Amino acid sequence: MSLIELTAVTRTVLIPDADPLTILDGVSLRVEPGERVSIVGRSGSGKSTLLNLLGMLDLPTTGELSFEGESVPAMKPGRRDRVRGSNVGFIFQQFNLLDGRTALENVTMPLLYARGPRFWGRERIAADILDRVGLGHRLSALPGSLSGGEQQRVAIARALVRQPKLILADEPTGALDVETGQSVMTLLDEIVREENAALVTITHDPAIAARSDRHFRLDRGVLTVAEGAARNAGRADEPVTDGPVADDAVAVL
Amino acid sequence: MGGFLAGVVGACAEAWQEVRIHKGRVLLSLIGVAVAVCALSGAVAMSAIAQQATIEQADSAGGRAATLTMSMQPSDSTATGRQQATQAWFDVLDRYEISYASRVFWGSSRVQFPDSVQEAGMTVVDQPYGEMHRTRMVEGSWFQPGDSARLAPVVVINTPFWESLGSPDLATHPTVTIDGLGGAKAVIIGVYGTSSWDTWPSMFMLTGHFESLLDPVQAAGSMPQYEMWVPPDLARELQTRIQAELSGAVGAQGFVSVDRSDWGAQMDDPTTILRVITMVIGGIILLLGALSLVNIALVTVRQRIREIGIRRSFGATSGRVFFAVMMESVVATVVAGIVGVILAVLLVQSPMVSELVSFGGISDVPPFPASAAVFGLVVATVVGALAGLIPAIIAVRVKVIDAIRY
Ligand SMILES: Nc1ncnc2c1ncn2[C@@H]1O[C@H](COP(=O)(O)OP(=O)(O)OP(=O)(O)O)[C@@H](O)[C@H]1O
Ligand SMILES: [Mg+2]
Repeated sequence: MSLIELTAVTRTVLIPDADPLTILDGVSLRVEPGERVSIVGRSGSGKSTLLNLLGMLDLPTTGELSFEGESVPAMKPGRRDRVRGSNVGFIFQQFNLLDGRTALENVTMPLLYARGPRFWGRERIAADILDRVGLGHRLSALPGSLSGGEQQRVAIARALVRQPKLILADEPTGALDVETGQSVMTLLDEIVREENAALVTITHDPAIAARSDRHFRLDRGVLTVAEGAARNAGRADEPVTDGPVADDAVAVL
Repeated sequence: MGGFLAGVVGACAEAWQEVRIHKGRVLLSLIGVAVAVCALSGAVAMSAIAQQATIEQADSAGGRAATLTMSMQPSDSTATGRQQATQAWFDVLDRYEISYASRVFWGSSRVQFPDSVQEAGMTVVDQPYGEMHRTRMVEGSWFQPGDSARLAPVVVINTPFWESLGSPDLATHPTVTIDGLGGAKAVIIGVYGTSSWDTWPSMFMLTGHFESLLDPVQAAGSMPQYEMWVPPDLARELQTRIQAELSGAVGAQGFVSVDRSDWGAQMDDPTTILRVITMVIGGIILLLGALSLVNIALVTVRQRIREIGIRRSFGATSGRVFFAVMMESVVATVVAGIVGVILAVLLVQSPMVSELVSFGGISDVPPFPASAAVFGLVVATVVGALAGLIPAIIAVRVKVIDAIRY
């Protein structure tokens, strides 16, 4: 069973005094457990909108969205929130750490919405994973006192602290320099592999995209398979958009 | 329901963290709430104390509910006639099993003080009088049931009297010489408290002792007043019956009147107006405090839309967000409420304020009424919940995808 599956998904928004804006148009995508998927596309092509759907933060206007075979729009809102909390971890471009909270408190936060041993043992679990991302000595540091790379490592720890099946990273290296970006991605890859989680990465950077198993391109709301991405890896000067486009976007391996 | 417990604990932990992080802003709003709670619970406490003081004063003057006071003048005004009338009263007490009853006779007598002879107030009563009027003892004790059988007369004096004697230790059985009663030496067995404005030395003496000391010529004067403490629901019936029965005993030219004298219980609560005024003022302060709290909470919640979005994307349900935001207000106002109640306790117990509310009527301050403290905390909690309601609704309406867009 697929982890998450979009079938012919359209997402339109109503804009006052104008025609409805179609952000996503007939998008089909299947993500299998443990798989690593990358999506590239220009600014405004609908990447974040797609990621919000994958993370069950948003619902399709038309088409079907299911998580582990269960229809997401059919879930009650509370259940959808809980399914998201225990199965999905987000990593944002701007880190989105909570201001004024220590690294430990930030990583503990998702566990506040867990139950049982994870809830009661939240501080220890959070400290362990911060140690795993190499920040065991900065537990009580506030985000403002951490470097960009360190902040993103806190964000990675936060995304993984509930051992989700799906990690969604929206331009995780966008705010980092190339070198830091690469090392953060290496760390993310390692942990994702250890946890056997699926990873969907949105990026502008072909080198980052090349780390994935499957590659997609989003162009004005239309998702296509980007076969050439792997070959183009490391060649940031050559646009990935040159790769051949598959007619069937549901590219199940 | 382990999940439910985790939810509640989690929301409280979240709320506490929030309060801790925004302590500057929160502190501001809390001062308002603390002041309001202080005013409200202080007002309730002061009104309760004032009410207690008024009741105490009313009781000490008019007797407790229900006190029947009888005046009686027999046709035969000789000593025999008076004795017969009094006997008729005793019979009535026996018949209706009234055990709390006292004759009361007001007068004054010259007394030897260390530096001079002065006129002192003298109230002649029977032993139950103390209980009937809640006479408040500050030293020693009130008369015991067997005291009238003692050979030496005993007296209970008031604080000014005692102080004029140099506050002697009652264990040393100090005596006082009553010139007005043939220079009799009376043993002081107790000291009772008075209003702070009552500085005239006075004393209580038992009827038995008084009559034995009194020169028979002097005794031919007026009759005492007769007081009976009866169950309130029987008061009306007993009043009519005793009136009728004693009318027969005093003879045709005699006169009997039985009335209720416990005006403290009869009249409307004398502190109602005071209480209403203080509550209205406290309510206004609270309203202002609550409004400023709502205002600050609104500002805070708007600044936190991104944070709420992040929390939602990590699995916080909208119910959880609602509860946590509301708890922030509640946690904060409860803390403020505790501070307010403590302030109110300190304020009300301060000598100046207690003097004011009790009209000088009670010299030792009663403990801060628990009901006022509970009231203050309940008010704080309710205000917190109400003030938290609007920001909580806003927090729930936050669109997650908009909140985390950058
Ligand atoms: N709620 C909305 N109302 C109106 N327009 C929207 C809304 N959400 C998204 N859009 C528009 O849809 C388009 C796609 O948005 P989206 O955020 O998905 O782009 P993106 O590919 O993530 O871009 P970027 O790389 O800049 O982050 C943009 O033009 C955006 O302005
Ligand atoms: Mg985006």
